[in-house]
Amino acid sequence: MPIVQLQHVRKVYDTKVAVEDLSLAIEPGTMFGLLGPNGSGKTSSIRMMIGITMPDSGTVSLFDRPFDRSMLPLVGYLPEERGLYKKMHVLDQLVFLGQLHGLRASEAAKRARLWCERLNIAEALPKKTEDLSKGMQQKIQFIASVLHDPELIIMDEPFTGLDPVNAALLMETLADLRRDGRAVLFSTHRMDQVEKMCDNIALIHRGHLVLAGSMREVKSSYPRNRVVIQFEGGDGFLRHPAIESQKRYNGHVEIKLRASATLDDDAQSLLLEAIRRARVTRFEVMEPTLEEIFIEKVGETDGPETGSAICEEERAGELIDA
Amino acid sequence: MHNVWLIARREYIERVRTRGFLVTTVMIPLIMGGFMVGTSFLGAKVVLPSHIAIVSSDAQPALDLQDELERPRLSDGAQGGPASRPRMTVDVMGAGQETQAIVDRDLDSGDLDGYLWITPAGTPDSRPTYTFTPRSPEQRGLRPVLANALDAVLMRERLAHRGVLGAELDSMMHPTEIASVDAPNSSDRETKEVSVAVLFFLMYMVIMLYGMNVARSIIEEKTSRIFEVLLATIRPEEMMAGKIIGVGSVGLTQVAIWIAAGLLLAGSSIVSQFGGQPVHVALSAAQVGYFFVFFLLGYLFYSSIAAALGAMTNSEQELQQLNMFLVLPLLFCFTALKAVMTNPDGNLARGLSLVPPFTPLLMYLRVTLGHPAPWEVALSLALISASIYGTIWVTSRIYRVGVLMYGKRPNLPELLRWLRYS
Repeated sequence: MPIVQLQHVRKVYDTKVAVEDLSLAIEPGTMFGLLGPNGSGKTSSIRMMIGITMPDSGTVSLFDRPFDRSMLPLVGYLPEERGLYKKMHVLDQLVFLGQLHGLRASEAAKRARLWCERLNIAEALPKKTEDLSKGMQQKIQFIASVLHDPELIIMDEPFTGLDPVNAALLMETLADLRRDGRAVLFSTHRMDQVEKMCDNIALIHRGHLVLAGSMREVKSSYPRNRVVIQFEGGDGFLRHPAIESQKRYNGHVEIKLRASATLDDDAQSLLLEAIRRARVTRFEVMEPTLEEIFIEKVGETDGPETGSAICEEERAGELIDA
Repeated sequence: MHNVWLIARREYIERVRTRGFLVTTVMIPLIMGGFMVGTSFLGAKVVLPSHIAIVSSDAQPALDLQDELERPRLSDGAQGGPASRPRMTVDVMGAGQETQAIVDRDLDSGDLDGYLWITPAGTPDSRPTYTFTPRSPEQRGLRPVLANALDAVLMRERLAHRGVLGAELDSMMHPTEIASVDAPNSSDRETKEVSVAVLFFLMYMVIMLYGMNVARSIIEEKTSRIFEVLLATIRPEEMMAGKIIGVGSVGLTQVAIWIAAGLLLAGSSIVSQFGGQPVHVALSAAQVGYFFVFFLLGYLFYSSIAAALGAMTNSEQELQQLNMFLVLPLLFCFTALKAVMTNPDGNLARGLSLVPPFTPLLMYLRVTLGHPAPWEVALSLALISASIYGTIWVTSRIYRVGVLMYGKRPNLPELLRWLRYS
């Protein structure tokens, strides 16, 4: 039973198509990564899932039923544009937002305290929101979106602006929530996070779904043509004919092999060559990283120059994303 | 409904708690009171003792005039109103060669507030000419005083000329006193007119203060970007309604505080010390009921327009440019006020009072001062209720799109397109 299901969803603003024929489903207890460059339609898609806007055609289902606002208290939403009432005290604010999601005031206050302790910001509770640091405000907003213990948690770019320690803390918290059986969807363009955390991904570009599936499927559909070699000594082996391109780093090199039917053999021959010329401390053959897939997919649909122009236009379009 | 209540309550509590609320609650009556006291103080200043000179080659009329001007009026002590004449010191001078230079010098130095130059008549048939030169425009008020006194003197002189003398003359010259007694219904009508004025003032103020506060609070929400979290659980309509009710309740609280304080003050002696007369509150229960009904409808109508303005704009400066949409209909009501008051059941009044933006003020005026047909009242209530509903509908559309968008202010075609988005 998918928690959220979009079927052939289309959304047009004036003449600009924000989302076109988008279908995706999120299962309970999974973490879903919604990927795409700026202005690709991530936020538009998310807004349709929670009824801030309605699709022009196609259907949205929440909790296996056609979209219905009465289900919204079961959803927690962290928008990309963060916002809290600046003048309000943190606890009042959390209680107010909890009440809007159907909690009683006393229950909301109790949970707010527990969550603040869990995220190490208990000292923020009696303060005014405007007196908090940006990172703390972001944590408060995170708490606001999970306070009512939602079944579905939707986070639009949840990690932007957080330091690595707090980003890791939030990631861990999200992973805990997933383990408790919640469905988590988040959008990002930080591929390393997605690769580490997500069970399923969807990559959208210019409103179209260009890639979707479970993390494992997606990655195994790509040939194991990436080689990482850590070495000391001469680098003559890097002129091996099987190498299509390479990136040199301090002490190691990332290699992309030429497409061929005998990739495994090519890799072995490269290893032999490397051992002959240098002292190898690490040799690894793998699929491309998600980041490489992302760049490749986005590059396929448009060239780099036109790509950036379209992004600009789409960003302008997203302003009237309503 | 629960959501509307939550939004309204938050809005109310957060606003009433602010220092701004306390300051305006105390300061606005103080400023207004200060204004009133200030004007009456300044008004009193005009009736200060003044010093004038009468220049005449013929001494007798000048002396008579001096006598007349310096004599306290019989009614002065009793009345004490603004009609009382300033106390005067009057010098009489013969018209010599140096006189012109002397009075001009005294005028410059401030010793004199003005001088009256009497030029004798050239021929027996013509009258003498009188020229008054005040020191500054503020002393112009002395002119009618002089004219009155002069008339009295001349009258007395002429009567004496015809042989009216002594006690007879005095009794003839004794000013007639008109005692004013209120007609049975005039005070009622006066109270009604006062209550209409109060309504107009309250309406204007509350709409300007709190209608604009609705708009401001929406702008604040736009800049803090909190609405997106809210819109994920509640409808724009609920959010709007909550804001309007919450901010409006703050306004009503403030007005209630003022009215309560005003009633307390009116009962005490402080008001009468400033020369104010005791205010009779003589409105019937139905009139008070109408007052609240029309007041609330007016507030709802104008604040939902304010909400739309807030949703369209991104900053207070932009809002300022649009607030004429709130002010103009009210100002129009103000200009129509006199016409409707004089003839509350005329065709003009009947027509205007049915136009929703004018209904709250003008229909209330008619209900209190005239005799509108019940169907007219019912129709006006139905029309304004429908327009409130319509405005809130349109506003929530504009709001739904407007809050999610920042950037330039939308133009009219864009606004119309917004209405079609769902």
